[in-house]
Amino acid sequence: MNSLLTPAVAGLSAGGAYAILGVCAIFTYRLVAVVNFTGAAIGAAGTFVMVALTEHGMPLFPAVIIGILAGALVGVMIGGVMTKWFSGASATTKAAVTAALLVGIIALGLRLTGGQRPHLFPDLVSGSAFRFAGVEVTWGSLLTVTLAVGLTIASDLFLARTRTGLQMRALSERPMAAELIGIRVRVLALAVWGIMGAVTAFAMMIIAPLRSPDFMSLSLLVVPALAAALIGAFRSFRAALLGGVLIGIVEGMVSALEFGARFRGVVPFLVILIVLLWSQRGARWDAAR
Amino acid sequence: MKRLITLSVLAGTTCLGLAAMTSNAAASGPTCDGGVIQLGGVSSVTGPVVFAEVPDAAKATFDQINANGGINGCKIEYTIADDKADPQVAAQAARDLIDNKGVVAMVGAGSLLECAVNAGTYADNNVMAVQGLGVDAACFASPSVSPVNVGPFTLTTAMLQFADTQLKDEKLCAFFYIAGGTAEAYTNAIKRWEQISGKTIHVLDLTLPVQGDLTAYALKARDAGCDAVLTNQVEPQIVQWINTVDAQKLEGIDWLFLAPGYSEGVASAPATSQQPIYVGTEWEPYTEASDANKDWAAAMDAAGMKKTAFTQGGYLAATIMADVIKSIDGPVTRESVTAKLKEGIEMPYSIIGSAYKFGDAPSHASMQATKVMQLKSGAWTLNTPEWVILP
Repeated sequence: MNSLLTPAVAGLSAGGAYAILGVCAIFTYRLVAVVNFTGAAIGAAGTFVMVALTEHGMPLFPAVIIGILAGALVGVMIGGVMTKWFSGASATTKAAVTAALLVGIIALGLRLTGGQRPHLFPDLVSGSAFRFAGVEVTWGSLLTVTLAVGLTIASDLFLARTRTGLQMRALSERPMAAELIGIRVRVLALAVWGIMGAVTAFAMMIIAPLRSPDFMSLSLLVVPALAAALIGAFRSFRAALLGGVLIGIVEGMVSALEFGARFRGVVPFLVILIVLLWSQRGARWDAAR
Repeated sequence: MKRLITLSVLAGTTCLGLAAMTSNAAASGPTCDGGVIQLGGVSSVTGPVVFAEVPDAAKATFDQINANGGINGCKIEYTIADDKADPQVAAQAARDLIDNKGVVAMVGAGSLLECAVNAGTYADNNVMAVQGLGVDAACFASPSVSPVNVGPFTLTTAMLQFADTQLKDEKLCAFFYIAGGTAEAYTNAIKRWEQISGKTIHVLDLTLPVQGDLTAYALKARDAGCDAVLTNQVEPQIVQWINTVDAQKLEGIDWLFLAPGYSEGVASAPATSQQPIYVGTEWEPYTEASDANKDWAAAMDAAGMKKTAFTQGGYLAATIMADVIKSIDGPVTRESVTAKLKEGIEMPYSIIGSAYKFGDAPSHASMQATKVMQLKSGAWTLNTPEWVILP
């Protein structure tokens, strides 16, 4: 049993990362109705700004703040593109646009950050919190999970309880109607993109030291993140949170199995497939067609 | 010919060219149509992984030869073709060099996939490739390609040999990331070490992910009781691996990496790590200001190029090709260069630990020696002053 428990706990550090990014993906979808492929890349951009500053000798704290602001700025820029030209487009079109933007951002990011050249990522929170089943559970992975839980609760409360939250929901579901009744659509949408950029940038700074420190690897964290969001059916923050952690744990366990390890990279896609099949289980052929 | 070999062994590496010239003094020496010899190479100059420094160094070396009057009056025109790490582009580039440029040989290329794509074309057209940096498995398994570097597969065997004989590690483990079709080459490299040492590998895991969390793998190495762990990761993943084993507080394991780890980026990124980290090198370690590196360093300084491991490959390939051409009597054509290379003369240079050889074999891997570097407080230090040479 212990032989599977150890890799399962080991998967926790990845799971925390998937959870927070998954929650952010739902945040964007529910508030501005965009399935956002650029989420992780926006966070990576902010993180690399922070790294560039610390590499040039800036103290950690101001560098982190500037990095978070840079993440917010990149988020607002992408939000600007989405709201300016694609606000009336269908969800599919918007998703395709962000996927295209992701390719562009990765190419640009790789060029600006020196491709495969590794960077020195400072530990925002260093050391391990405790040892469980032979695994050092780091403060970093605990913090990502905490952050994801915090964001989940905050988003739920914000959307259900506040007036702005209500306006946001209106904005995402009926943007035209929302605009007609006088909601400042563009400003609110850009604010969502900015907040999302700031949160992912901060989360990515915590995640990055234990990931491959190049721009592309960090940006592609969006794949398991979207799988987590899908578990939440792009609606439920809590399900996405659990889903993210679960994907991490399953990945960890799979890599311990002699047979399963080579299919480890498939796990997020497998999860996406199973969730899609499950969510469509009630559909009849005619109705679903 | 015997005289040439004796002379070059006696006089050392730099004299190889001289020896060729003395023996040629009586004969006509290499001649060329229109005073130009066409050479080329298909390299990954742009793309996700870039080896531009390899052909750049080759070009710089040829430029310096030209500036000194060329080879027996013949100037070398060296064309760098970019494959953009795209197989189709690589194939077109090779055809262009062979059919339109009329190159007599390929030299000094460094590419992610060029050998796999073009080795067949080269064999069909009787064009031989002195690869500056062989990366994919086909570079070491084709009759038409003989790289001037050790390559990941031989280096795998050499690093295990080093851990076994010099670090005295008992349980050796290997974790490999497998890119299209390299599984067999890596497995054979491990088998070769098992044959040399008479021991068996403790853990062999071919499922290391390029992207993804490595915690489970680090713990697997610990729980299996590995004394040394070898991976074939490249720069960013090596940093991630070291960060992960530090986060998991692993101790008492020697961490071995292949030549991609031997870079300033890896040295500076995990600066605080106290882990024992070793990398194998392709040539005389580029960070050492040794006599063996003197000629290469002078060439790079003269060209205003950075002194990196990649430039050693380009410089060495160009130097070898120039020496081969110098030893030709008569017109320098595709046929005469290929014939000369296929003679399989051993060419020793101080920058390499075993003599370079092309020859007429179905595959070539003449580079069988490495020097091992250790990472000590953010700087690479020489761990093996003598070459680790595979039998």
